[in-house]
Amino acid sequence: MTDTIVVTDLSKWFGLKVAVSEVTIGFRPGVTGLLGPNGAGKTTLLRVMAGLQRPSQGEVRILGVDPRQDTEIYRKISLVPEDESVYERLTGRQFIELAARLAKIDHPVDRAQRVLETVGLTDAAGRALGGFSKGMRQRAKVAAALVSDPEVLLLDEPLNGADPVQRAQLIALFKELGNAGKTVLVSSHVLAEVERVSDRVVAMVDGRLAAVGDIATIRAAMTDKPRRVYVDATDPRRLAAALIARSGVLGVQIDGGTVHIETSDAGDLARGLPAIAVEHSIGLSKIEPVDESLESVFRYLVEGR
Amino acid sequence: MVLAVHLYRRIMRRGRVLGLLALSSVPGLVFWLAGFDAGEREMPELFTDIISSVGYTYAIAALILTVATLRDERDSGTLPYIYMRPIPRLNMAAQSIVAGVGATLVIGVGGWLVAVVASLAVGNGISLPMPSLALFAGAAVGYGAIFVPLGYLVPRSLLVGLGYIIVLETILANVVTGLAQFSVWRIALSIYAGLDDDFGTVASDTLGPVTAGVGGGVVKLAAVVVIGLGALTWALKKRDAL
Repeated sequence: MTDTIVVTDLSKWFGLKVAVSEVTIGFRPGVTGLLGPNGAGKTTLLRVMAGLQRPSQGEVRILGVDPRQDTEIYRKISLVPEDESVYERLTGRQFIELAARLAKIDHPVDRAQRVLETVGLTDAAGRALGGFSKGMRQRAKVAAALVSDPEVLLLDEPLNGADPVQRAQLIALFKELGNAGKTVLVSSHVLAEVERVSDRVVAMVDGRLAAVGDIATIRAAMTDKPRRVYVDATDPRRLAAALIARSGVLGVQIDGGTVHIETSDAGDLARGLPAIAVEHSIGLSKIEPVDESLESVFRYLVEGR
Repeated sequence: MVLAVHLYRRIMRRGRVLGLLALSSVPGLVFWLAGFDAGEREMPELFTDIISSVGYTYAIAALILTVATLRDERDSGTLPYIYMRPIPRLNMAAQSIVAGVGATLVIGVGGWLVAVVASLAVGNGISLPMPSLALFAGAAVGYGAIFVPLGYLVPRSLLVGLGYIIVLETILANVVTGLAQFSVWRIALSIYAGLDDDFGTVASDTLGPVTAGVGGGVVKLAAVVVIGLGALTWALKKRDAL
């Protein structure tokens, strides 16, 4: 599968402040989470990719085209901006129809109706956007982005302000679009959101790419960070004594019936635990790797900078 | 022209329109008050003098409207909704200027209608204020072509625009003869002067070295539009949109 978005050696600076630094990456169809703390450069990266801002260095190609050179590419890419801003005086329907007309869509009224249905805003479509809640505004912005049926969808914090039900609906929609072959890039500083929306993650810290890949792969690549595993055992002291002698185990700690293990070789531990349990007649009821989550991985990435 | 209509509606907010209509009505209202004490033979000269000098209020109204055309979008964060559309930048620039000029024309016609009513109220016919419509229209086109790009390019565009109107057009252009040729107001005034035989003394002084004449004025305005269009197209292509 070829990359639909290709970013090469991209930097963007504002005066002395470097917002994005030497980023080279490609994005394929499917959903990718763009993760980073506030100020990591996610929004700037998306804006440069969308052609709203010019790169200070490097280049962006979307479907083979530089978005700042050929405006026809905007038939195929859409951005949901982070700003809450919408046209307060327009109704939801007018906003979407305006987007459809500006995008030169055939039958803009019909198309607007369809995307309003897609985001579940049909009932509120006649109300002014100024009276919309944050979550409804987000959905209206997503609808405006979907109106041209884009191949590439850039979403900057699209779940901000959405309630749990709306979040679930939007996440399901993004996944559906990704499964349909669209390239969907969802930025967020909320780890749980990114974890729910996509397995593939691009992590940014201080304007640079910190990691790219699925969460397990990124974690596995971080060989300098010991893996932590919690094991519930019938005889934790005995298990701890057996483990501490094992190479690769960096430390053990007992907390009630649970043994906290730090190891530099998770694979060896996984293979060795059953054997130790059998050898010492210890019952194991739960084995839990505690730093496989995106949150742990991301914490390591940020701390490592 | 979807974009032009959208931008036009956006800038023509009710409160803003009412305020700017009041501002552009000042020349007509001043003529109304002054006209009661003037003789019939003085009327044409009095009218052109007031329109040409007090008419700068319309220039300020035009500035406020036209700088807002794209600046409103940029400041409120809605620019991506129009920028990220398959519209060639030259076309986008042209539609933006058309929106700004259209809005200014509406305000100008409102101000001109007040001048018409004033003319009728002090006993003149509609023929007296008729040529001044060219001044309002010409100024709308010229200011639109300058201030729409200014609003997009410069963060403190209102201040810079006021500097242009107050410092360059009303002060420096009176002192430095060559600068008068760069005054949109004088270019529009030259078209008005070409249509009105009773051009007054004050109006002629305001015009300064700029030659009266419809053809020359229109050509100069066309040049201003080309420059404004070129500048805005360049800015939309080359500058950050946010």
